[in-house]
Amino acid sequence: MAHSATATAHMAHAGHHELGFVRTYIFSTDHKMIARQFLFLGLFMMIIGGLLALIVRWELAWPETPIPGLGMFLPETGGAIEPSAYNMAFTMHATLMVFFVIMPILAGSFGNFCIPLMIGARDMAFPFLNMLSFWVTGSAGLIMLSGFFVDGGHAAAGWTSYAPLSAVTSYTGVNWGQNIWCISLFIMGVGSMMGSINYITTIINMRAPGMSLFRMPLVVWSLFITAILLLLALPVLTSAAAMLLFDRVLGTSWFNPSGGGEPLLWQHLFWYFGHPEVYILILPAMGIASEILPVFSRKPIFGYHAMAFSMIGIAFLSWIVYGHHMFVSGMNPKLGLSFMITTMIIAVPSAIKTFNWLGTLWGGRIQFTVPMLNALAFVSMFVIGGLSGIFMASTPVDIYIQDTYFIVAHIHYVVFGGSIFGAFAAIYFWFPKMFGRMTNPALGHLHFWPTFVFFNGTFFPMHILGVGGHMRRIYNPTQYEFLQPLQHWNVFITVSALLLGVAQIPFVINFFWSLFAGKKAPANPWNSNTLEWTAPSPPPHLNWGAHVPTVYRGPYEYSSPESKDDFLPQTVPPTPARARAGRH
Amino acid sequence: MLNWWLPENVSTYGGEIDRLFHLIYWITGGTFVLVFVTLLVFLVVYRDRPGRQARYTHGSTPLEIAWTIVPALILVVLTFLSVPAWSRIKMQMPPTDIVIQVTAKQFNWQFTYPGPDGKFGTADDKTMLDEMHVPTGKPVRVNLRSQDVIHSFFVPQFRMKQDAVPGREIAQWFEVTKPGKYELPCAELCGFGHSGMKAWVYVHTPEEYAKWLAENVNVARAAAEEKPAGEAKKDEPKAETKTRGKAK
Amino acid sequence: MSTFASVLEPPPRRRSDRRIGKRVPPPPPPSDGDDGPDGDPGSRRPILDNERLATLVVIAGEVMLFAGLISAYLVLRLGTAVWPPPLQPRLPVAVTGINTLVLLASSAAMVAAGRALAPGKRRALVFRLRLAAGLGALFLVVQGYEWIRLVGFGLTLSSGSYGTGFYTLIGAHALHVVAALMWLGITLAMASRGRFDHGRTNVARACAMYWHFVVGLWPVLYVTVYLV
Ligand code: HEA
Ligand code: HEA
Ligand code: CUA
Ligand SMILES: [Cu+2]
Repeated sequence: MAHSATATAHMAHAGHHELGFVRTYIFSTDHKMIARQFLFLGLFMMIIGGLLALIVRWELAWPETPIPGLGMFLPETGGAIEPSAYNMAFTMHATLMVFFVIMPILAGSFGNFCIPLMIGARDMAFPFLNMLSFWVTGSAGLIMLSGFFVDGGHAAAGWTSYAPLSAVTSYTGVNWGQNIWCISLFIMGVGSMMGSINYITTIINMRAPGMSLFRMPLVVWSLFITAILLLLALPVLTSAAAMLLFDRVLGTSWFNPSGGGEPLLWQHLFWYFGHPEVYILILPAMGIASEILPVFSRKPIFGYHAMAFSMIGIAFLSWIVYGHHMFVSGMNPKLGLSFMITTMIIAVPSAIKTFNWLGTLWGGRIQFTVPMLNALAFVSMFVIGGLSGIFMASTPVDIYIQDTYFIVAHIHYVVFGGSIFGAFAAIYFWFPKMFGRMTNPALGHLHFWPTFVFFNGTFFPMHILGVGGHMRRIYNPTQYEFLQPLQHWNVFITVSALLLGVAQIPFVINFFWSLFAGKKAPANPWNSNTLEWTAPSPPPHLNWGAHVPTVYRGPYEYSSPESKDDFLPQTVPPTPARARAGRH
Repeated sequence: MLNWWLPENVSTYGGEIDRLFHLIYWITGGTFVLVFVTLLVFLVVYRDRPGRQARYTHGSTPLEIAWTIVPALILVVLTFLSVPAWSRIKMQMPPTDIVIQVTAKQFNWQFTYPGPDGKFGTADDKTMLDEMHVPTGKPVRVNLRSQDVIHSFFVPQFRMKQDAVPGREIAQWFEVTKPGKYELPCAELCGFGHSGMKAWVYVHTPEEYAKWLAENVNVARAAAEEKPAGEAKKDEPKAETKTRGKAK
Repeated sequence: MSTFASVLEPPPRRRSDRRIGKRVPPPPPPSDGDDGPDGDPGSRRPILDNERLATLVVIAGEVMLFAGLISAYLVLRLGTAVWPPPLQPRLPVAVTGINTLVLLASSAAMVAAGRALAPGKRRALVFRLRLAAGLGALFLVVQGYEWIRLVGFGLTLSSGSYGTGFYTLIGAHALHVVAALMWLGITLAMASRGRFDHGRTNVARACAMYWHFVVGLWPVLYVTVYLV
């Protein structure tokens, strides 16, 4: 708000100096600090989730052999993983990665960082609520981690926690672990609700003068749509988690047939949330790619409106495809047919985006910076993951590949190849703005190339395993004769997964080294157009001085004839020259 | 092509699934090549070189319409090609006199044959653990049940998979073309015994099958001792669980 | 919190008072069709003030929450042959029907309170808010009493899908009434301190919106759980 914002400025500058360490770094209401907090939460959880994945991998390659270094945690087995522990490992791997790595980093961190800065607002609409949303999500994370230490172990029914396996203690032997899983996700739901309230209100009400909806950068569009999906999808999970918890501790019978419950009900509720959720994971990454590709091809995004509308289309369709997770669940096969149609159709918006990204590169002046490389990896890997989705969308084929490693391959091509590469791209791209220092390009390449290679080495062969019939969620493939000939692939995958883990170490080093010793970042290191680069790096409290910027044009005016240098920030007033160039 | 990928198919409808699989393989493969070749060419040709000027364009409506319509058409066609197989496999039940009651429980498969009187729930039912016998050349109907959690009946070589859900009975069918011994893993996570919960499917020629039936199932006396699987106690799986937990 | 205060300001309503004494940035120039329609100056002409917009957003989320619960309830209910299952107490349809009217009345009181959201009407405002809150509280008390009786008759959470559905749905709503009552309490305190005498009424109006939502939700649940 033009004038209330300046009022804000005065108030804040009055109260600015009292802000002590705690109010500045811990209980901060500044969206940029909250963004940093979410980022650290996500990266920390990524290490845990990743190490769990490595445990899973070790077990699959060398079943029932002790894992080096794990002996001290599991003295009774000498570091070997038991079936129940294996189930716990992949369950928590997925739970952490989905809810406490990708959502905090993409929606939480970059949502908080980009939205106000890129629409020209001084902060979120409700900064205090914003702070709460981080601390609620964070405590949900702590609660989730606490589950590792209760006896009976943590939840082990898969991240999908199908009932009745998850509803009755004696079926898994997991007691409080599963309860904690429910409680934590319930709280996380509340936290992300707070977040989305802020995002939606801020984007609708607090755009800078001239920042019309169709001048918003696509990453803001993507976060706006993500926020809407979060708002509408998470409550469904929240209610389902509550019901599951009641079944477990209060003896209700929602999902347990012995009391008149309906097991498939859980699946319907979970996937009604779950499919929008997977687009919650990918949409911000799509926005990020749409942001970075134009900057480093020095070229306007190809088909801005198509990009925005295709994301809206994905958001709408994502509500009516969820049944594709339940083709062989016993759901009415007629429903299966209708879900197949919608699932096929939802690939079309993604097609539009893919080809528009290619169109953006076409005729550009492509600069292979580290963020650009990660963005390109996002595009290409997402395409592979998406194409494998088409196999499953065809119901007859899904009969065969459902619950095989083909699905696992799909998952990781979209969530790691998509969301995580998107997150890396965003981190390298906005690090200068976030922390006021540049990252080290050499280390950046040293991180990207091995990650890219070993990512494919890890997840591509999973297609072959899956087509070979290799079930997911099995602890020891060598128990099956028909899988014996495929076991060498498991070894190969595990080796490259370990290397993939090692490949993250340069990233960690780069991150912390640049944080303290990186060279100071200029205000606009990438010669970018969007508003955040008009603020100093890092932006001060309330982002801009006395004036919030005024916007005169769209965000992607690169190599425009109107200006002699190859970029034209949104804040530069139009010149008469433009009038002539503009009309063609 | 690619059959080194898929395990050998021995069921009548498996062929349709494989055909669809290969069709999609070529469609997506083509798309993949298209996208990646374009991407790589662009990356090389349009890389930043001194003096090169980026093209200032905001898009091209005809192009965008084209690459909206084309994938849409491909996908719609694909959908319609997928319908027949699905409805044949999951929505129809060919008439057959071979009906087997399959009951999954942590962590076994129980196969109940109706016995001489051809009815289930009678004293002469014959139940066997983790092994199923079927003939070739005849549709076999399996009624899937579960006593505890969700399991999934999966025979890779039959291209057949169906969850067994507690509290309901799901009828499925398959027809095998080739005698042999096939593995039947459980494909849905069902607890710590999920990995290793498997049975064997013995597929006989009709003659052998008749012989086997006579020797093992239609023996009234033998059957009289057997308890039908249906009456197993609710808490039995737990007991089962414990012992297997030790075994692991 | 400093920034928090700023959002309590009402958005400028008419163009004229947007001009007063503030730097009005030059209106955005026409654009070359590619960056969309012009003239939407974003934040300077909000559709709805932050508080009420946010409340709408919350309500949207809550709707999904109850959509989940209600659909789950219906799945169980339609899956059961005889409903309510034999040997289960019947629900107090009549009493609850009257109670529904009580709740609706509180909503009416809230509407009236909204009318009193103007300078110089503080006493009327406070009284009507008290009335709304009182009726809401009464509704809760009656509900609680009915629950105790039902439990007495042996209908509990764990007595099959019937009890499960009843207590989960109605309980979830009761919790929302409690939450709404708390918010109403805060608004009431603000009102009696005259916080709304100077045109800054967003918080009160947002509270009213949420109250109407919680009330409006009830008949839906009443029909689904008690009547159908
Ligand atoms: C980021 C997350 C993400 C994304 C974006 C997607 C995207 C898609 N997913 Fe995925 N999916 C998951 C995450 C995701 N998925 C997860 C986590 C699971 C497993 C859950 C579990 O069981 O644990 C899953 C499972 C899953 C299943 C269930 C499999 C099973 O259990 O049997 C199915 C079935 O239809 C499916 C389909 C699709 C489709 C059609 C898309 C489409 O949106 C893809 C569209 C994109 C493209 C198609 C590529 C680009 C397009 C072109 C290049 C144009 C040309 C293309 C053609 C003409 C074909 N997914
Ligand atoms: C959402 C994001 C996400 C991400 C990023 C990953 C990442 C990985 N996943 Fe994950 N995975 C899922 C989501 C994800 N996964 C889901 C949803 C499932 C389904 C679960 C289910 O069936 O219920 C699944 C299941 C799954 C399985 C199948 C388990 C089974 O069905 O039995 C496997 C097996 O290989 C696997 C492996 C991996 C590996 C090797 C990685 C690697 O990419 C991880 C590599 C990353 C690291 C190793 C980071 C560690 C960091 C460091 C090492 C830095 C250095 C350390 C320090 C500085 C201390 N995953
Ligand atoms: Cu039974 Cu898995
Ligand atoms: Cu899905």
